[in-house]
Amino acid sequence: MAVPTDASGFLGRTEVGNDESKIRIPKLTKDPGMENKPRHDPNPDSTRPEEPELDLYTIPSYSSWFAWNDIHETERQALKEFFEGSSISRTPKVYKEYRDFIINKYREDPSRRLTFTEVRKSLIGDVTLLHKVFRFLETWGLINFVAPPPPRQGSDSDDRVRVEDGAPNGVRVVATPNSLRPLLAPVVKGKKSGDGVEESGVQLPHLASYSDVFGDLKRLHCANCGDNCDSGYYEYKKVNFVVCVKCFKSGNYGEGKSMDDFELKDCSEKSATNGVVWTEEETLLLLDSVMKHWDDWDLVAQNVQTKSKLDCITKLIELPFGESLIDSAKGGGYSSSTSMNMIGMKPVCLTSSEHQENIINEDQGYDGTIENEKNGDSENQEPPSKKKRTASISDADSSLMKQVARISTMVDPQITAAAAEAAVAMLSDEMSCPREIFYGDQIDLTNGSLSPTLRADAIGESEIQERSSPSESQEIHLKNSDVPLPLRIRAAVATGLGAAAARAKLLALQEEREIEHLVATVIEAQLKKLQSKVKHCEDAELLMEKEYAAIDEFKEHILGERINILRTTHNTGTAKLLEPSSVQSQTGNIS
Amino acid sequence: MKSPASASWKAPLKFRMPAAENLVPIRLDIEVDGQRYKDAFTWNPYDPDSEVVMFAKRTVKDLKLAPGFLPQIVQFIQSQLATFRSYAGQDMYVGDKIVPIKLDLRVDHTVIRDQFLWDLNNFDSDPEEFARTLCKDVGIEDPEVGPAIALAIREQLYEIAIQNVTSARENRINKKGRRAAEHFPISKPSGAALDLMKLFRSSVVRKRKEWDYYKPVLDLLSNEDVDALEAKEERSG
Repeated sequence: MAVPTDASGFLGRTEVGNDESKIRIPKLTKDPGMENKPRHDPNPDSTRPEEPELDLYTIPSYSSWFAWNDIHETERQALKEFFEGSSISRTPKVYKEYRDFIINKYREDPSRRLTFTEVRKSLIGDVTLLHKVFRFLETWGLINFVAPPPPRQGSDSDDRVRVEDGAPNGVRVVATPNSLRPLLAPVVKGKKSGDGVEESGVQLPHLASYSDVFGDLKRLHCANCGDNCDSGYYEYKKVNFVVCVKCFKSGNYGEGKSMDDFELKDCSEKSATNGVVWTEEETLLLLDSVMKHWDDWDLVAQNVQTKSKLDCITKLIELPFGESLIDSAKGGGYSSSTSMNMIGMKPVCLTSSEHQENIINEDQGYDGTIENEKNGDSENQEPPSKKKRTASISDADSSLMKQVARISTMVDPQITAAAAEAAVAMLSDEMSCPREIFYGDQIDLTNGSLSPTLRADAIGESEIQERSSPSESQEIHLKNSDVPLPLRIRAAVATGLGAAAARAKLLALQEEREIEHLVATVIEAQLKKLQSKVKHCEDAELLMEKEYAAIDEFKEHILGERINILRTTHNTGTAKLLEPSSVQSQTGNIS
Repeated sequence: MKSPASASWKAPLKFRMPAAENLVPIRLDIEVDGQRYKDAFTWNPYDPDSEVVMFAKRTVKDLKLAPGFLPQIVQFIQSQLATFRSYAGQDMYVGDKIVPIKLDLRVDHTVIRDQFLWDLNNFDSDPEEFARTLCKDVGIEDPEVGPAIALAIREQLYEIAIQNVTSARENRINKKGRRAAEHFPISKPSGAALDLMKLFRSSVVRKRKEWDYYKPVLDLLSNEDVDALEAKEERSG
């Protein structure tokens, strides 16, 4: 029965069966129960002209056991209900009729997918059982083998999960969305085994491409001079053509473009302030008024006349040190030393993770609830408990690097950048080499290797300079460095890792020492215990000896008394002799 | 060779839904203060009764019903559950029963009519799965149709199961009264069941002209039709 395979392009499917090769079997007999239907040869290139009655159908090789005039063991096993003689409705004959009908129905048009509903209308019997037979045949490829797979249920379920307005119509009531409460949700995809054959496996999510992830962060380069366009750029309206400010002003924007075609897009507005422009004077005013009025946003808004209350608050939050101002306004100035770390004023010896944790706390704390009175000190001391924590940040079991990575993904890039800058400042203080590398080129530092975006940082730095408060930007030498970018990146990474490693080693040593110390303490405690026990025993011994001596004395004393009594009785001898009983009894008692 | 009657005789079973999952179909139609709440769903009778109250509260809250609904909903659900449970311990003789199930329901814009056979003895049967397959094969996208179909099936099965219990009880009484011979087949088919002998004697394949009766007939209504029908239902209901 088995004919060698023909690999005609069906190999692309993923199927449940082991062997993908197909087998052509001739349809041997016509089922007498079937009506006479015209059968067309599905394989027009059949080279068997000598057997015109035979049609060739394709089934998988793992179903080669199938025979028209027999029921195979596989079928008996899978569909036991028919072979137990339990009911007149389930006999092998009935099964064979079902099977033959279904297969023939499919073969009327093998290219079309046969559905269960089509066959069950034509067959008498329990629909559940029929469905089982149907699924069996489908799993074994005896039907629907060549047919196209069912429409992707993914799209169906997407449709089914659409949100509806108004009550569903099974529930008639005043309109509010609610779902019926059957115990099986309607959006369950029917991934039964019968469907398993044709469905290709797991639908993987689309892999994110570089542009998806980094699209927002991509640096815009001037098409002309290749500089980074951060301060602002001019976008050519018709095509995606970007020119930096300098080039625009100097007129170098390529042929065929006129000045009017360019639209000014200033990055400064985009990232930070919802389209509100903050000039430097306004920012200065804002900071001054915040210093003066701390919390009173009405007054602050009055001072900065051109901006509303909300704008002021938003702007202040976005400034890297803005929150520290708010913080210091709240809780008393010096307590927020960690916040000052953001500007790298006095790097306290924190690891970068603690550092960032505090930053997060402040960040979360200020999300919309600036009115809260927060004590800066208590913030430092117990950062996690008071703030809402999006994730368990300080899991003791995850490594430092992981924590850093996790935290840096959770917060704004501005904060991460500020933190990174502070960490770099700290490192630079310790070693001269990274300082050269890092602070070589100021612009490239903030834009290139370490941190992605940061308009606000640039503004912040310019403002810091204006206010002449100590900040890292003033420590930095603006000198052009010849160190190329990849090397800087590598150096940055290496330094970071090296710092982390060194720190880890120090921590490990410290731990060891602590362990030793603790062990010593334990030993001491044990010794003390022993000593006290020994002392106790000695005391007890002493007591016993004393008692022993006391008893000896007492014994002697009693002995003396006996002797005395005997003497006395002896001396009063004769008179007493007349009363022998009393003397006797006395002596008897005493001895 | 056993006679066909005794071959199909089975020991009586305890009452339960003749489906894989023993769920109770519950239908509610309550009117309070001009608000009307109609709903139908399946309930697991093994859930504690506190669930009923919680469900009712949630429903009232989600659908913003008047608070007067709460006790009514609870009461209706509980009474239906109690009815179900009252049959619980009793004998339900199923035997070899294949019953016709008919569908004739409207869910939103979809009207579906169908007819098929269901074996009460088959405890692997799953109305929900059948409904899913039906919707998938016919291409119904409305997600409410499937559960409605499953519920309709369950309700009919429930009815039949109840009939079985009562008929079994009657038979027992009769038998006691008569002290008739034991071979009197309890498996005498009650009204709903079909005579399997007749059915399965010849071919299992139906005659062509009957095919159209046993396939699902689907109608999609327009919005006006839906509104008209709903108005009619309200008036009559």
